[in-house]
Amino acid sequence: MTSFNETQPIFVQIRQRIAAMILNETAKEGEALPSVRSIAADLSVNPLTVTRAYDALVDLDVVESRRGMGMFVASGAREKLLGHERETFLADEWPRIRSQIKALGLDLDALLKEPGK
Amino acid sequence: MTNPIVSVHGLKKRFGPNEILHGLDFEIPVGRIYGLIGHNGAGKTTTLNAMLGLTSYEGSVQVLGEDPYKHRARLMKNVAFISDVASLPRFLKVRELFAMLSDIHPNFSAERAASFLEGTDVKPGALIANLSKGMLAQLHLAVVMAIDARLLVLDEPTLGLDITYRKRFYRRLLEDYMTADRTLLITTHQVDEIEFMLSDIIFIKDGLVVLHSTMDDVGNRYAQLSVSPDRAEAGMALKPVFAETRFGQTVMVFDGADRGALEVLGAVTTPTLSDLFVALMSRETGVK
Repeated sequence: MTSFNETQPIFVQIRQRIAAMILNETAKEGEALPSVRSIAADLSVNPLTVTRAYDALVDLDVVESRRGMGMFVASGAREKLLGHERETFLADEWPRIRSQIKALGLDLDALLKEPGK
Repeated sequence: MTNPIVSVHGLKKRFGPNEILHGLDFEIPVGRIYGLIGHNGAGKTTTLNAMLGLTSYEGSVQVLGEDPYKHRARLMKNVAFISDVASLPRFLKVRELFAMLSDIHPNFSAERAASFLEGTDVKPGALIANLSKGMLAQLHLAVVMAIDARLLVLDEPTLGLDITYRKRFYRRLLEDYMTADRTLLITTHQVDEIEFMLSDIIFIKDGLVVLHSTMDDVGNRYAQLSVSPDRAEAGMALKPVFAETRFGQTVMVFDGADRGALEVLGAVTTPTLSDLFVALMSRETGVK
């Protein structure tokens, strides 16, 4: 749970974990998210790093910062986040995966039909 | 821009004929978590001692705008410290220690200290002499966190503690102590455990600062490349600051290299602090 990979900045990885909580509805719209302090303590990371992760989601209007109360899942957050994550996937990751499939000589249609994959 | 909480300029320290610190310069802004990292004997503890007014020095040191050697007592109201050789009075009970500290330290709260120990095995009636090493560390942390200080200096605070105690120690610190107007300065050899807690690092080698950087800049500036033997030469041509062969892969650390150019050769990551430490500390002999 506390391990990070070495290829992405930590704040990006924390942002993704918070995003995952919203996408899989561990935290539903209008509900409170874990405080900066508790995430920092749980993951042994600098509080500023956690703040930065939250700021990235506040900028997307996915998380709402309520003064003195902490962070909350904004209304319509899941839809917005899903839209944003789809866009980034299609723009950043898909072209790479696609060229890898091609480079490995795999057949996309066959892959999709294969059960359990 | 607020004033730095610590500013050190041209700090030198001599023990007899031996100069230990050769002119250190650095400033520490408020609200940061600093890691001071170096080999044994590099001068970390001497640097901390100069900042805490525990030793004389040449050059200029200001902590909270004061000269620590001249105004140590005044400074200690706002600075708390755990030394690697710290000892608490063994003949006292925990409760008696808190009472004594309340008498001598204006910013110490016995109530807060006691609350930090709730849920631990350290009981108020326990004699300090009878506490285990881990319990002593908990007690010590409770004492320093109960001081409403602006700067907390921890010199190898988790030395000799097992992993669960070390984790608990740092968790406590982040959960109950760290705020935007407090500053933390830590030295430790277990760098990997606190790597992501730190906002900034200072590497000291043989009495000199070899790196002073925010962790963000470390990520931007340094890159680690793992290449297979046939690509090693191409990698070396890009002038790594350090190279080492592990399991048939050559691992190289680059300073300021273009990541795109490296990615062509192999897997590129940001070096961990311990990898970077090894790379920079063995720089003269590392690349042949």
